Amino acid sequence: MSDAAHEPSRLAKMLDSDFAYKFRTSPVAMVSTAVTLLLVLAAIFAPLIAPLDPFNPASLNLMNGFTPPSTPNQFTGESFLLGTDDQGRDVYSTILYGMRISLFVGFAAVAFAMVLGISLGLIAGYVGGWTETIIMRIADVQLTFPSILVAMLITGVAKGFTPVEYRDSMAIIVLIVAIGLSDWVQFARVVRGSTLVEKNKEYVQAARLIGRSPFTIMLKHILPNVLSPVLVIATISLALAIIAEATLSFLGVGAPPTQPSLGTLIRIGQGYLYSGEWWILFFPAVTLLALALAVNLLGDWLRDALNPKLR
Amino acid sequence: MIAYVIRRVFQSFVVLLVVGLVAFSMFRFVGDPIDNMLGQERTQADVERLRTTLGLDQPFPVQYAKFLANAAQGNFGVSYRQGRPVATIISERAPATLELALVSGTLALVVGIGLGVFTAIRRNGVASNVIMTTSLIGVSLPTFLIGILLIYVFSVSLGWLPSFGRGETTQIGGWSTGFLTASGLKALILPSITLGLYQMTLIMRLVRSEMLEVLRQDYIRFARARGLRERSVNFRHALKNTMVPVITVVGLQLGAIIAFAIITETVFQWPGVGLLFINAIQFVDIPVMAAYLMLISVMFVGINLIVDLLYFAIDPRLRIDGRHA
Amino acid sequence: MLRLTTVSALAMAIAMPAAAAEFRWAGTTDPQTMDPHAVNSAPVLGFLNNVYEGLVRRGKDMAIEPALATSWEPIGDGEGWRFTLREGVTFHDGSAFTAEDVIFSYQRASSEEADTSSWFAPVSDVKMVDDFTVDVLTNAPNPIFPDSIANWMIMDSGWAAANGAERPAKDAENHATLNTNGTAAFKLVERQPGLKTVLEPFDGWWGTPEHNVTRAEFTPIQNPATAVAALLSGDVDMINPVPIQDAGRMAAAGNAKVIQGIEARVIMLGFPHQADELKYTSDAGKPNPFKDVRVRQAVAHAVNVPAILQTIMRGNAEPASQLVSPAMRGYSESLSRRPDFDPDKARALLAEAGYGDGFSFGLKCPNDRYLNDEAVCQAVTGMLAQVGITAELDAMPVQNYWPELREDNYDMYLLGWSPGTFDAEHPIRFLATTPNEEKKLGSWNFGDFSNERVDTLLPLMQSEIDDAKRQAYIDEATKILQDEVAYVPLYVQPLVWGTGANIELTQRPDNFFILRWVTVN
Repeated sequence: MSDAAHEPSRLAKMLDSDFAYKFRTSPVAMVSTAVTLLLVLAAIFAPLIAPLDPFNPASLNLMNGFTPPSTPNQFTGESFLLGTDDQGRDVYSTILYGMRISLFVGFAAVAFAMVLGISLGLIAGYVGGWTETIIMRIADVQLTFPSILVAMLITGVAKGFTPVEYRDSMAIIVLIVAIGLSDWVQFARVVRGSTLVEKNKEYVQAARLIGRSPFTIMLKHILPNVLSPVLVIATISLALAIIAEATLSFLGVGAPPTQPSLGTLIRIGQGYLYSGEWWILFFPAVTLLALALAVNLLGDWLRDALNPKLR
Repeated sequence: MIAYVIRRVFQSFVVLLVVGLVAFSMFRFVGDPIDNMLGQERTQADVERLRTTLGLDQPFPVQYAKFLANAAQGNFGVSYRQGRPVATIISERAPATLELALVSGTLALVVGIGLGVFTAIRRNGVASNVIMTTSLIGVSLPTFLIGILLIYVFSVSLGWLPSFGRGETTQIGGWSTGFLTASGLKALILPSITLGLYQMTLIMRLVRSEMLEVLRQDYIRFARARGLRERSVNFRHALKNTMVPVITVVGLQLGAIIAFAIITETVFQWPGVGLLFINAIQFVDIPVMAAYLMLISVMFVGINLIVDLLYFAIDPRLRIDGRHA
Repeated sequence: MLRLTTVSALAMAIAMPAAAAEFRWAGTTDPQTMDPHAVNSAPVLGFLNNVYEGLVRRGKDMAIEPALATSWEPIGDGEGWRFTLREGVTFHDGSAFTAEDVIFSYQRASSEEADTSSWFAPVSDVKMVDDFTVDVLTNAPNPIFPDSIANWMIMDSGWAAANGAERPAKDAENHATLNTNGTAAFKLVERQPGLKTVLEPFDGWWGTPEHNVTRAEFTPIQNPATAVAALLSGDVDMINPVPIQDAGRMAAAGNAKVIQGIEARVIMLGFPHQADELKYTSDAGKPNPFKDVRVRQAVAHAVNVPAILQTIMRGNAEPASQLVSPAMRGYSESLSRRPDFDPDKARALLAEAGYGDGFSFGLKCPNDRYLNDEAVCQAVTGMLAQVGITAELDAMPVQNYWPELREDNYDMYLLGWSPGTFDAEHPIRFLATTPNEEKKLGSWNFGDFSNERVDTLLPLMQSEIDDAKRQAYIDEATKILQDEVAYVPLYVQPLVWGTGANIELTQRPDNFFILRWVTVN
């Protein structure tokens, strides 16, 4: 098991020294990490930070609807930091809770895409032959369907197959699966490409010669060597997944309006762009931008930092 | 080589069949077209009769087989919504999407390559960093939001550009073009920016990283050492060598542009096939959905096929290995 | 280049008054066909009312007035109606209008291929008496028949025969899908489905034009926000609908105005009246509380309709007490009071019914069918939660919505109903009568509400000629529906159109846009 221990420690060493140095000296990396962390923490601790619970319909007062930011409502006299939406929900609290859903969907979708893509990519690259052909043709089929359509079809299928009483709670899972499914192909392609290169290298040949199982070889030898492109894709994918969630919610196949994500909030808000209630669109959009931009910048920096050729 | 090409084409054909099958098996979950086709005074008997007329009472494999048999003869059926042949409708709408894709693709390519080269040459310059960072803003906002904001600023607030549609179009043969009128050209600006922004950022970043890599190569150093002018080194030698991956990506992205056009066309009410498709979903217009999906599939699978064949032709290792994707 | 721009701008400015009579308008849905008998839907019938005419038409106040028929009278003792046709009318292609076209249009519109055949269910035969007299014979006395055929449009028989369009095309296109030959004030000059449809005035029209439009172009714009942008930026002269929230701003903008009216559509909540069990959430499988009238009453008292109208509808809608709005014929004046908003009473009623601890259930709602439908459902969810019953809201596009309702996948649902005949009998027939496939009754009564007396009253009100007696039947049925809380009527959906500041037009309560009432200043 000594080689197995050897591989991660190499990765750890890299993370330790050079990588850490680069991180410390890059203001972009530091700021984007800080923003990402701040937003993620805010989302996780939303129930503690948010002044109100926007997901509890009993707590809402419709007459608070459309209150401008930090201005007392004309009927109730209540005031809200970032105003309220059409249902009288506090926009600030709703953003915090909505970000939870957006981030959860984003992380879960990327994790799903990553597991699926890496497994299929490894298998395709390592096993080859008909297995590879079938997997890569499935990838082609997948690429054919615009993600919006995938999501709509999955929503439909989920409705067809889940028992009536569970349907309502399916929306989030459907989003995760839909976004994940439209995203796994790039992981699979990159991993397959790297696997094709790695598997002919001496250390893999050696491992094969000493009789290690293909599963062990794939997992312990090849996988660690393809991780850095995967990490970069995962980061970029996270940003894309958050945006995709927003787009799907905009098209009305996303998170339910009673538990809005950032995308659902933007969809609701864009209806009020011309009527003067700019805050319903503006604050969620800015939050989404900040989140996606920070993650994108981080991904961008990671790509440069992990690419040895650009050093 | 020929055996490989034949096998690869055959696989692509199978892919198309599977796409169709998957799509067809899922259509029934999109909704029920009958309600939209009959008025509120319809009776259950009307519903059943129409269902039988349309063949919707049959199991989906039968529907699919019928669709394939007709499609093989170039007949994609009749739209439930418009009552007209789908092939006619799509050929009426395709020019709008293709022109939009062409303009935004060109925009993405020209601006993307230009900025990519610039940011690679001035790698650590302030302007480069600003461009690199702001370009990320473009990909950190959903397309629909960018479109809405552009309309808000340039159409509603400033009144400079039209807020929707294609403007005046000119009919040339079977092709309606917006390139020949002032209003048609003006109408292209906002949608093509919205649609092309993402690809532009992508191409810019790709060109930049490829350039950076090439600029480090020995032959570039030699070229510099030989005293060639900087401009000549950058453009004649370096850029030329980055073009192969760029063209590959652009080819693949052409498909993405057409797929993403769904959202842009929805926001700008652009009368192309993307909008047709979204409308078809809302109306559960199965013949239109099926034809659109098959069209997109043919396009994607075709592009994939060409790219793979090119790789095969270019990369001799794949041939020796006998391994191909 | 700069000079060229200036010159062309100047030229445009000079050309303005002449171009002012061009009119461009936008709506959410493109009329899916130009065939007046192929599809019975508001976008198609509304649009084609500008191109085709019926024997009768509706005026600005919705009253029936003569069109291709100059007068009509009952035959005998309720055997049918005799229509005297207008003489000297020509179709757009110049051919003359006679009784033959009426007979042809009856056969066409009542054929199996036609979507409008249900209008003629009460008709046994249509007979030509002479070239300008037609008898419509009915199975039973039918006092409202002339009211029910305002959208039955007359097509030229010769034109249809010459172009092979004798029957509407259901699964193929025919000549009448893209071309028209009507008698109305406007003729179709260009049709690009989904893109634009262009009309021009018909010089040979029998009536006196009240408009100054020389060319009219319709463009479908699906997204209401895009339509608002198009109107505000002057790309179109009229849009329908204006999102309710934009009405205030738009009215204040200066270059646009808002025209508001009360539509015929009543928005209501429906219940499963026969289901034994709840279908959704943690209480799925438990006995259906909505079978208890007290629970339905509690819902009626729990929903704060004034608050919904104040915020979501921005003060642009009227509360509803019954299944039709006050503008409809047969509205029950004496029953115009809707249950007060009274959460305490709602809680008391729930406690009395044995649901003091509340319960949870599934509320189904469309999200693209009625104005702000999803927001209204959300608000209802909140209000019901405040009296202790928890709704889990599932909002979906309308193409998924109707199948869900038909398969009884709901515990409560939102429905809007606009009576096609503008008469109170219509919703009673479709929404409140025990469903009966054979007799074509109760076809939208998803919750299977059933009341023997209502079922008995329906044929009475259908055949009663005396207005006072008929109203008494309708009042009685309405009272039963209110007492039983068959539905909880919420409000009458407002009708909001937006136009450029230089446009004068008349808005008809059925949401039909009539081009011959447009003046461009």
